[in-house]
Amino acid sequence: MNLTHEQALDLAAGYVLGALDPEEEQAVREHLASCDLSHEEFAQLGGVVPYLAEGVEQVEPAAPLRQRVLAAAAADLGARRAAGRQLTEPVPFPSAAEREAPRPRTSRGEWLLRVAAVLVIVALGAWNLLLQGQLNAAQDYQQSVAAVLDLAAQPGSQTAIVRGDGPRGIAAVGADGSVRIAMRNLSPTSGSEVYEAWVIAPGGAAPVPIGGFTIGPSGVGGVTSPGAGPAQNATIALTREPRPNPTAPTLPIIASGIATAPPSG
Amino acid sequence: VSDPGDRSARGAGTAVDDADRDVLGRIAAGELDALEELYDRYRTMAYSIALRITTDAALAEDVVQDAFLGAWRNANRYLEGRGSVKTWLLAIVHHRAVDAVRRRRPTTELPDRDVVPPEPLTIPDIWPEVAGRLDQESVREALGVLSDSQREALELAYFGGLTQQEIAARTGAPLGTVKSRMRLGLLAMRRALVGEPGEPASGDANRDAGADRDGGGWAES
Repeated sequence: MNLTHEQALDLAAGYVLGALDPEEEQAVREHLASCDLSHEEFAQLGGVVPYLAEGVEQVEPAAPLRQRVLAAAAADLGARRAAGRQLTEPVPFPSAAEREAPRPRTSRGEWLLRVAAVLVIVALGAWNLLLQGQLNAAQDYQQSVAAVLDLAAQPGSQTAIVRGDGPRGIAAVGADGSVRIAMRNLSPTSGSEVYEAWVIAPGGAAPVPIGGFTIGPSGVGGVTSPGAGPAQNATIALTREPRPNPTAPTLPIIASGIATAPPSG
Repeated sequence: VSDPGDRSARGAGTAVDDADRDVLGRIAAGELDALEELYDRYRTMAYSIALRITTDAALAEDVVQDAFLGAWRNANRYLEGRGSVKTWLLAIVHHRAVDAVRRRRPTTELPDRDVVPPEPLTIPDIWPEVAGRLDQESVREALGVLSDSQREALELAYFGGLTQQEIAARTGAPLGTVKSRMRLGLLAMRRALVGEPGEPASGDANRDAGADRDGGGWAES
């Protein structure tokens, strides 16, 4: 729909009030972007619109909405970093209506979004850290999650939510078997203690140690490891070891998760 | 057009505006705690307007979430000088809420949401507020200058989420009349907000007299 300048002015009040149908609104938007004539009429009318909202009865939203908003943004940030996109590029996040809508196909992009949705759980961890004022810990955690996501976004990668009684995190296993893990809420290590990460192939294989790390007061840490060779649906497990470079795990397993592939699409 | 006697502080900008712009800049840089600040500052405004439009608490929460996420992703598209951050956020909430009620309403000619996913969030245009930040009393007075038919048209448009065609159908008034009620209502509010006397602004009135673009309606004032 192409509008003359007069037609666009005629739609000005409806436009500033949001009372046009979508086609008209788009046509006005295009007109405003392309027409060099004065559109003072729009400013005259549009500058009044915000005051219409002033008299509305003020109602406080339910407290959990705050966490939803922040979690959605955190997941959005994670998805964008994983995809290596600019921070400003929009990534869809499902609204209630979209969550209800059927999703017949799963593209790689959608898989990344699902990873992001799962990450809400993980990202909330970063929020809890922020709320506790542990800014550095939150940033460390965000960075290590971002590193995991980078690997998760590679073709052939698998992802695991790693959790235990307290500890939470995420791991990605690359096609070449390389492993990245980001964890939070781990008890600090002391002395020669380390947390050791293990890859356990399905079918009762022996755990293979892939790397250890220490944990400071923040409870945040992780490991990047060449891994133990390509493995499908391996279990990623963490144990707490009295000294580095163990050959067999000291039970119990502190946290674990099974790596799964994105849906084929 | 300048407004003589304009009480606006928009030229200088208020401390709140400056702080808001700073927060938006940090949001554009991907700082989650800046979004938290924006949310805490405007959650009540956002939720109240979303609730008023949707009249549904769950839907209003979805609208607020979408709107803040829209602000989070599009903070770099906020244009300084085209209205405050508050107005920008309000416009996003309003636009998303109207989208939501139109989708819910079966009479509206929109694609079935089960077939076509919702459109990506649109960042609506905004314009500098005519009179800066006013107290509730001034705004109530400005709303008080509206005729009943103007108030009805503005309310159905802004809070009801109706298109101007739908307002015409609902009220039984010709489309041109609905357009003029909305326009003249906004202009009357504008005059009241900037403290002009209640007479029709002469320039606008003259222009209206010769600008009966729809063959009806401009006579009302």
